[in-house]
Amino acid sequence: MADLKRQIIEQLNLKDVKPEDIGDDQPLFVEGLGLDSIDALELIVLLQQEYKIKLANAEEGQSVFRSVRTMAQYITEHQPKTI
Amino acid sequence: MYIQAAAGISPQRSFEAILTQPQNYNGNRLSCQEPDYAQLIDPRMIRRMSRIIKMGVAAAKECLREAGWEVPDAIITGTAYGCLADTELFLAKMIENKEELLTPTAFIQSTHNTVGAQIALLLKCHNYNNTFVHRGFSFESALLDAITLIKEEEISTALVGGVDEITPVSHAILSRFGLYRKEHTDSAALLNTPGKGTMAGEGALFFALSASPSGNDCAKLDDIYTFYKPADRGAVKEQILSFLQRNRLAVKDIDLVITGENGDVAGDAVYTALKTGVWGNAPAISFKQLCGEYPTATGFALWLAVHILHTGKVPGLSPATKPRRVLIYNHYQHIHHSIYLLTAC
Repeated sequence: MADLKRQIIEQLNLKDVKPEDIGDDQPLFVEGLGLDSIDALELIVLLQQEYKIKLANAEEGQSVFRSVRTMAQYITEHQPKTI
Repeated sequence: MYIQAAAGISPQRSFEAILTQPQNYNGNRLSCQEPDYAQLIDPRMIRRMSRIIKMGVAAAKECLREAGWEVPDAIITGTAYGCLADTELFLAKMIENKEELLTPTAFIQSTHNTVGAQIALLLKCHNYNNTFVHRGFSFESALLDAITLIKEEEISTALVGGVDEITPVSHAILSRFGLYRKEHTDSAALLNTPGKGTMAGEGALFFALSASPSGNDCAKLDDIYTFYKPADRGAVKEQILSFLQRNRLAVKDIDLVITGENGDVAGDAVYTALKTGVWGNAPAISFKQLCGEYPTATGFALWLAVHILHTGKVPGLSPATKPRRVLIYNHYQHIHHSIYLLTAC
């Protein structure tokens, strides 16, 4: 999850945030890390770029991007298997 | 039209610094003196902003602060190049990622109206918001829109700005077009060493315009006029004389002329002809050795004129009396010509 936090910080250019500042279960949006809808689009690009995962439908976004832990779980479940 | 405040980010630190110690540049570009944006813009917003957006938003905020306004009736910007850095980033990613997985932020922020939009977001201002992209008339178009809306009593206050940036890529492309000097030049000597091309410039200048006087205005914008591709130097002279006539003025009534020489021998021939044919002995100064050449450079000239009229001080001159009436004449590549008339308040 530390790697994922680093990737989120880099993708969203969260200059003053360190990986340890983001709690595993802390909400990413609004009252948590304060992300917004543009950030959600950036996170979708991050999933595709780094993990080759395409969100099947936009409705999933709300639950997938709830926290770093929910994102990590989604990545673990959906990452393409390498042979 | 009253100008309650004029603020900006330019290659010069401040008007006071221009009077005492203007910033000189060696090379073929003048770059903006940028403040610590973290002190001026919400860090949550700043993380997505490219340089031109930060310059524009910071200049607009400072202008509003000086005017004592919270939310203007309109936010109107003019830019020829728009948000180049974000456009370059987006195009580079398109090539790099084979037109897939494009970062949305650079795309969203690459549009020309981003500066005006970000100012509105910051102020939570849902009023009229428009951006003009019209090469060397971009800033003038923004001003004319504000003036028209004010005259038609649609609005009574407007925040108007001109913004343009140079990036390494845009500078290289425009250099290939022959706009800038190949040899290194000292900006202070730019106008004394005429040659082919000029020095590139950039800036973000904002103005608080209002319909009625506040009692604390910096200057009054009496008139503005633009003309496109005049046939020859005689036509330029005619346009200027006709502009003065429509304001019931003669050259002798102008206390100071601010002109847009940029050191390019072909373009400066117009100014030289006007010096002998129109201005005569009227006190005159130039401004592009201070800000460089760019399509919205008249924003810097207007900012300079406003400060001259407000303080009574003229860079490089020691006038016996405070200038009361200033005329600005500029052309961009001998295509877009503009004239401004301002008076002291």
